[in-house]
Amino acid sequence: MASVKSSVDRDDRRAPDADALWHDIGLELRLEPVKTRIRLDNIAAMLPVVRVLAVRDFKAKFKQSVLGPIWIFLQPLALLAAFLVGFRSVATIKTSGVPYVVFVLIAIGAWTYFQASLSMGAVSLVTNAQLMQRTACPRLAFPVAALIANLPSLAVPLVAGLVAAAVTGELSLRVLLLPLGVLWLLVATAGVVMLTSALNVRYRDLLAVLPLTLQLGVFFSPIGYQAADLPGVARTLIGLNPLAGVMETWRWMILPIHPPDSGLIALSLAMTAVLVLAGWFVFTRSEPTMADVV
Amino acid sequence: MKPSRSAVKTLGLQPAIAWSDRPIIEAHNLTKVYRLGEHQSLRGTLTTLTGGHRERHTIRALNDVSFSVARGDCFGIVGANGSGKSTLLQVISQITVPTAGHAIVRGRVLPLLAVGTGFHPELTGRENVVLFGTVLGFARRAILERMDEIIDFAEIGSHIDTPLKRYSSGMQARLSFAVAMLFPAPISIFDEVLAVTDDEFTTRCLRSIESIVSDGRTAIFVSHDASLVRRLCTRVMWMEHGEVCLVGPTAEVLDAYHSAHA
Repeated sequence: MASVKSSVDRDDRRAPDADALWHDIGLELRLEPVKTRIRLDNIAAMLPVVRVLAVRDFKAKFKQSVLGPIWIFLQPLALLAAFLVGFRSVATIKTSGVPYVVFVLIAIGAWTYFQASLSMGAVSLVTNAQLMQRTACPRLAFPVAALIANLPSLAVPLVAGLVAAAVTGELSLRVLLLPLGVLWLLVATAGVVMLTSALNVRYRDLLAVLPLTLQLGVFFSPIGYQAADLPGVARTLIGLNPLAGVMETWRWMILPIHPPDSGLIALSLAMTAVLVLAGWFVFTRSEPTMADVV
Repeated sequence: MKPSRSAVKTLGLQPAIAWSDRPIIEAHNLTKVYRLGEHQSLRGTLTTLTGGHRERHTIRALNDVSFSVARGDCFGIVGANGSGKSTLLQVISQITVPTAGHAIVRGRVLPLLAVGTGFHPELTGRENVVLFGTVLGFARRAILERMDEIIDFAEIGSHIDTPLKRYSSGMQARLSFAVAMLFPAPISIFDEVLAVTDDEFTTRCLRSIESIVSDGRTAIFVSHDASLVRRLCTRVMWMEHGEVCLVGPTAEVLDAYHSAHA
């Protein structure tokens, strides 16, 4: 969309009286075969749609469930218990002197958010097929809404981890850098969700791959252990998983421990960039005809 | 509505014909080709991956469709199932892009292509109105301001705060119709939306569509019910197999359509 068009859009959205929409004086849209329709400057215009979709997804997630939003607390808690029992009790894990609970909780925050956003986001276009086939609403709003609707799954364990670190006296001043770490997680998750949601429109094989990937992901992410304890090159190669970089960085920002392996961080950052570019490319390329194939 | 190719604001330069005198919709040789089949087969995928040539089954849902709609018209489209009506409306509403040709649309399009579209069963009627209105591109404040009118028009009353899954299909239809009627757009599209409502509500909707047109706005109306088309429309296009058979005044086109299908 040319910038002229989006300014028309934004003015309309602010119009106090819907009657002002009748005329759209001078508006002239040319609809023709195109490879992509989304431009970066459309993102602001889609925010109202993202908002309603995120609210809907959050509410709908817990309707007709007895415990409702309490699940946001129970899920990371169950994961924490699993790591305490299943990991800690059978193996000695080095945590650089930090209490294991704090050590694990911080990484769990990244994992539960990623897992929840991906589960909802990857199917977001398919579950909204009706809306896509009947309205011209911005398609990118669906995966983005999944990223927003699941923010509580990030906030709850992360805040718990921060509190636990503070209570045990392990909170580092580097915590001031944490917003950057959170941004990294959001960007990486956005890349994966854009990529998977767009691919899922055409290839439902993804529905079979996704649960498996998430199950394996728990083990190939340094949640219950630190990457430094891995043997040989594995300690760098785990950086192929962008979440590995995120988790190691978060721990270093929050806790008084040594900085993570720089090779791992570089690899994770590179993978994040690749995923975001691939996600944007695949999403914008398939967007114009998504309604045809979904 | 965001996805669009380009917009030209006619500032400064005075065009030969005033913007408002030009057709509100112009379609030039619109063609839409779909690939047939839900999935490509594994064999097909492998052939493509290995660089082989694969036979493609395609269908031409629209073939070289050209027409124009004047501002303030109620434009009817008739044709059997599979004649390309819905695909055409999807292209005009920017839901999908054409494979060839182009269209020029001078104003926002409000598509009502199915009733109850996008309503979420677990959310209340009120929550769904906000959702649907926002997705159609209206400001939150405008939606909330019109909420009472919408509830009245839809005759939903106190059920507005009940989850949508408890609604009858008629109630859902009335609610989605009310949203579309109370948010005026320059171009409103109605695709077979009156099929599920009762007679009394249908009459009210027809009156609303008539008032849209008498306000100088434009409506596109698709229905299997020829008597509705005859009552509402000023001009009608008859489509068959993705092509335009005839465009013209309502009586003329409908008579030709009926004699061809008699």
